Amino acid sequence: MITAIAWKNVWRNKTRSLIVIAAVTIGVFAGIFSMAAINSSVVQRIDAAVNEELSHIQVNTKDFRSSADIQNIINDYPEVVAAIESTPGVTGVTGRLIIRGLASTATKSAGVEINGIDVEREKEIFTISKKLISGTGSYFETDTKFNTVFVGEKLAKELNIIRYILTPEAIASLKEESMPSDIVSKVETLQGQRFISDKKFIKAYEKILEPGEIQKYGWKIKEAAWSYREGSKIILSFLDIDNNQTGAAFRVCGIFRTNNDMFESTSLFVPIDELRQLTGMKDGAFHRAIGKLEDNDITDKATTEIRQKLTDYEVLNWKEIQPDLAMMADFMNQIYSVFMVIILAALAFGIVNTMLMAVLERTRELGMLMAIGMNRRKIFIMIMLESIFLSVVGGFAGMAVSEVVIAITGKTGINLMKYSEGMEAFGYSAHLFPTIDPQFFITTTILIVLTGIISAIYPARKALKLNPVEAIRGE
Amino acid sequence: MAVVEINNVFKTYHDTEVEVKAINGVALSFEKGDFAVIVGPSGSGKTTLLNLIGGLDQPTNGEILIAGHRLSELKPSELIDFRMDHVGFVFQSYNLIPVLTASENVGFIMNLQKWPKEKRIARTDELLSSVGLADRHKSRPSQLSGGQQQRVAVARALATHPEFILADEPTANLDSKSAESLLDIMEKLNHEEKMTFIFSTHDVRVMKRAHRVITLEDGKVVSDDVRE
Repeated sequence: MITAIAWKNVWRNKTRSLIVIAAVTIGVFAGIFSMAAINSSVVQRIDAAVNEELSHIQVNTKDFRSSADIQNIINDYPEVVAAIESTPGVTGVTGRLIIRGLASTATKSAGVEINGIDVEREKEIFTISKKLISGTGSYFETDTKFNTVFVGEKLAKELNIIRYILTPEAIASLKEESMPSDIVSKVETLQGQRFISDKKFIKAYEKILEPGEIQKYGWKIKEAAWSYREGSKIILSFLDIDNNQTGAAFRVCGIFRTNNDMFESTSLFVPIDELRQLTGMKDGAFHRAIGKLEDNDITDKATTEIRQKLTDYEVLNWKEIQPDLAMMADFMNQIYSVFMVIILAALAFGIVNTMLMAVLERTRELGMLMAIGMNRRKIFIMIMLESIFLSVVGGFAGMAVSEVVIAITGKTGINLMKYSEGMEAFGYSAHLFPTIDPQFFITTTILIVLTGIISAIYPARKALKLNPVEAIRGE
Repeated sequence: MAVVEINNVFKTYHDTEVEVKAINGVALSFEKGDFAVIVGPSGSGKTTLLNLIGGLDQPTNGEILIAGHRLSELKPSELIDFRMDHVGFVFQSYNLIPVLTASENVGFIMNLQKWPKEKRIARTDELLSSVGLADRHKSRPSQLSGGQQQRVAVARALATHPEFILADEPTANLDSKSAESLLDIMEKLNHEEKMTFIFSTHDVRVMKRAHRVITLEDGKVVSDDVRE
């Protein structure tokens, strides 16, 4: 009965209640959606780190990381693999040779980490093979007698094996993407010209396009003009097993693109047998064993188990290798709560004001209720419920709107290409796919109910202090 | 036993430095089936006396007994329950709950007392019929005339079979026809169910129908006329 009356009371002054509900809805939506957007960048970063760069667990000799000595191989690799594979939740294991070296072309060179990989096994552990840029070759499927290397786009740019050419096909693709004809006409003036770096290409189109047009279409034009010098070769130099300088020419079999510039510019991949042959290392030599888990959540448990089995080795998981990622994930949860508390605290003042007005308007009625036998506890509960209903209706509406918008933008993504350079320098994608942990909705619901309760305390106390005789008189 | 017994009751208000004796040594008793009005000029203490009888206010001195219970011995929380169980209130400005229908208003106190649903509905229907509003049970107060709202208020006051009904200026906001109609209903309830009514009023129409007229002046009873 009290609940029903409280609910009906909320709708006495529809306009006023709807304004408060709308404010709560917008506040909750703003809180959840912005958190979903920020959260997505962290989740995407962690996914990328785990699936493209680190995997879940890495095992190597205890001083391999600090010394990077080529001779620091895992002596009993089959036993190490068996120990990892027998741990619950492990879905696959691969091994790598990891050598530091120098990648050079005729004009440029860069320090790199050369990863000798088991091409087929890597596909089960990492998704880097799927990051191949279309039209740049393949993931070690090129039939060639040469050594092959799979490099990142950033490194390819640094080594000068990327070109920008607006071919007739590239212009046609821009038309297909519904680019306005006046923009296409301007871009056509660059057709056939060859630019050896993106800086030179950007400089060229900045002369023919307005700043607004560049902001909107620049990245699409760059994407269309991007071209790769097929069959490019790079020279990899490194030390062999006897610490003698060695090296070889490698033909670029494909170029991959991730959202992490640092990873793209420093990591390259070659078949492990080719690397063993060049370094003089024996078959079955590995520097690192890498384990993949079925879920990020079991990382700590699996790490502990593997660590207990492999006491002679350094066993690290992705959180320990890149603690900033783990910290970001935890930090997001904390910041979310703080963010929502601030938003809801601001909204609470609006609810307090509304409830105070509602109590003052109903002084006579509250006096009558006390007179005919409604005790103060029930009146307190009634006012509390009214406030909770206001915040909960607005809160649930906000959560529903957030859910819909997150579902839509989670599929379409939010394009922040304008900031891609800065974001990708830190390994974050400029194309966000908002996502939120369902746990956030539970936290939000609790915070909203608390807001309703806290907002009602002052107005409800005001109601309790009413003297029925004076209240009935309307004083 | 008297339904209401008022023994030498005083009520003094302290308004800044001035002491106001709103009730000044009143001694009265009301028997079951009384149809009594308390009259007097404005400020004579009518409403104060009604508030004291209804347990909404406490006397400064003296004591009030309702159906043998001393009101002064009840704690504030007990007093609220006591009012709900023993006293029916009818106010000048109806004071119905605007978001509830006529039947929900009538059933409100029964709901607070946790009556079973079937019993509550039956009692509500019976009361709305007795005040001639059976066909308006789903109407909200805003959809009823002043007279109809006051009849719903009477039905609400009667809902839990109180010892008596206190009606403070119940006809003050009503036109003649509505006032007469309301008084007909109250008179009928008084005749047929021996329901005790205690009015405070200026309205001569109420005075004409009363069996007992108590006149207050300056907080004192100056006359107490019982009519045959």
